[in-house]
Amino acid sequence: MNQSKATIEEVRKKGVRRTVTVFGAIAIGIFLLSLLQGLKYS
Amino acid sequence: MAHAATHDHHDDHHGAPSNFFVRWCMSTNHKDIGTLYLVFSLLMFFIGGSFAMVIRAELFKPGLQLVQPYFFNEMTTMHALVMIFGAVMPAFVGLGNWMIPLMIGAPDMALPRMNNLSFWILPFAFALLLSTLFLPGGGPAGGWTMYPPLSLQGDSVAYLVFAVHLMGISSIMGAINIIATILNMRAPGMDLLKMPVFVWSWLITAFLLIAVMPVLAGAVTMLLTDKYFGTSFFNAAGGGDPVLFQHIFWFFGHPEVYIMILPAFGLVSEIIPTFARKPIFGYKAMVFAIASIAFLSFIVWAHHMFAVGLPLGGEIFFMYATMLIAVPTGVKVFNWVSTMWGGSMTFETPMLFAIAFVILFTIGGFSGLMLALAPADFQYHDSYFVVAHFHYVLVTGAIFAIIAGTYYWLPKWTGHMYSEFWGKMHFWNSVIWVNVLFFPQHFLGLAGMPRRIPDYNVAFANFNMISSIGGFLFGASQLIFVGVIIHAVWFSKKKAPDRVWEGAKGLEWTVPSPAPFHTFELPPVIHDEELAHGHVED
Repeated sequence: MNQSKATIEEVRKKGVRRTVTVFGAIAIGIFLLSLLQGLKYS
Repeated sequence: MAHAATHDHHDDHHGAPSNFFVRWCMSTNHKDIGTLYLVFSLLMFFIGGSFAMVIRAELFKPGLQLVQPYFFNEMTTMHALVMIFGAVMPAFVGLGNWMIPLMIGAPDMALPRMNNLSFWILPFAFALLLSTLFLPGGGPAGGWTMYPPLSLQGDSVAYLVFAVHLMGISSIMGAINIIATILNMRAPGMDLLKMPVFVWSWLITAFLLIAVMPVLAGAVTMLLTDKYFGTSFFNAAGGGDPVLFQHIFWFFGHPEVYIMILPAFGLVSEIIPTFARKPIFGYKAMVFAIASIAFLSFIVWAHHMFAVGLPLGGEIFFMYATMLIAVPTGVKVFNWVSTMWGGSMTFETPMLFAIAFVILFTIGGFSGLMLALAPADFQYHDSYFVVAHFHYVLVTGAIFAIIAGTYYWLPKWTGHMYSEFWGKMHFWNSVIWVNVLFFPQHFLGLAGMPRRIPDYNVAFANFNMISSIGGFLFGASQLIFVGVIIHAVWFSKKKAPDRVWEGAKGLEWTVPSPAPFHTFELPPVIHDEELAHGHVED
């Protein structure tokens, strides 16, 4: 039981790290894009 | 059964720090942070509500009675900012924090320390925002939409911009946390299409938040540089374009409306099946309808700008795209009604608020369709008709759903039943007075009364007086809500069972009431019959 708990936690940790990296990058990218739009059209 | 991983009742407080500061300020527990969000939201609801009382008191009679016009404009601006970013959004984040891990069989949120930071940013953001009311030049008074050049007048711009940045950072971190939790922390067997609709609605809302909050951050950053660093993003004299701000703002602003209503759809989709004692009608259709609404929310932003002078092709595109939203929304409304059809219905307080939501939100939806018609919108634009429309959507929509969700899960949180009598008193007072408050505003708008004015033509006097009376009594009715919560938390003698409602399904009802400090430390073994949507046909 403990082993399977450890495995689950490891899989979760990896997945969480990947999700945070992807969505964090998307958020920062969209922020920069909106500033670029401002520069382009003003 | 899914109880294998839960604690026994005698372990209820295992792990909860006894030190007040450590427990509440340094918490990484999803339930405690959920409680913090909900308490903060309630506080903001009353602060934003007190601003609304000032507005309705001033509009009780024609002429200037109580406040100066600039202060009135500060009140309309702050009322919106506080209610949107301080009351409605944190309330949904609080409900999500409390319930999502319980509903998917996760031990906590995926990023508990970030969860703490997401919450504790908010009090500082609102302290900054509210402090502007005490500045010598006054606070922001250009409306929550912050259109330049009006919003750039005064010295509170930097405070407003930094407060909005803080709220945005908090929301983005909260959204990433919710996505990471739902995608990675579900118990084995909790497939995506077995998740409760509330969890689905929050997953889609979190995508919306990540997509649009950075756009708002970009817009207000440009406002800041225009004001203090000599740029001309929105300054026509320097080659900029004020209409550009409106495009950027509403690219955020319209999805923001759905950020405030999609979790409400999720809540109502949990409550109605419970009290109709039937599974939700068309589970997959409900999920796809939420996703469709979220997608459409990105391509309708310029319907807020019909009167600004868009090209005809643009007006037609945004008009039809907006009207298209009625299709998935209609699917949802008909599915809620179909869920109730033939069910063994009972009318406890959460169900009453949920039914009121379906009826009154639909009224807000219909007036939205009227506003979507570009030619008609030229008449309605910036009138009280718009004010009536979005208050039906946000008060009888979002806030009624939050109240319904609170009554629904309060016994699970506190371990005690609330007073059904006072819950119903709260409901009937709210539902009557909210209509007295907002329904006459349709007539005022159609008759030509503009929004955001402290004084008006005597022709509008009667309906304004009725609306103000409704406003005062609706505001007072919410004190019953506070009383009911205080009673349930500290004074109620009636213990809540684990499965509080006879027809309730889902993992959250398999844990004891009150929910132990730690739940599902070992993933629960899930059997389909325990889940609300365990038998979804492919």
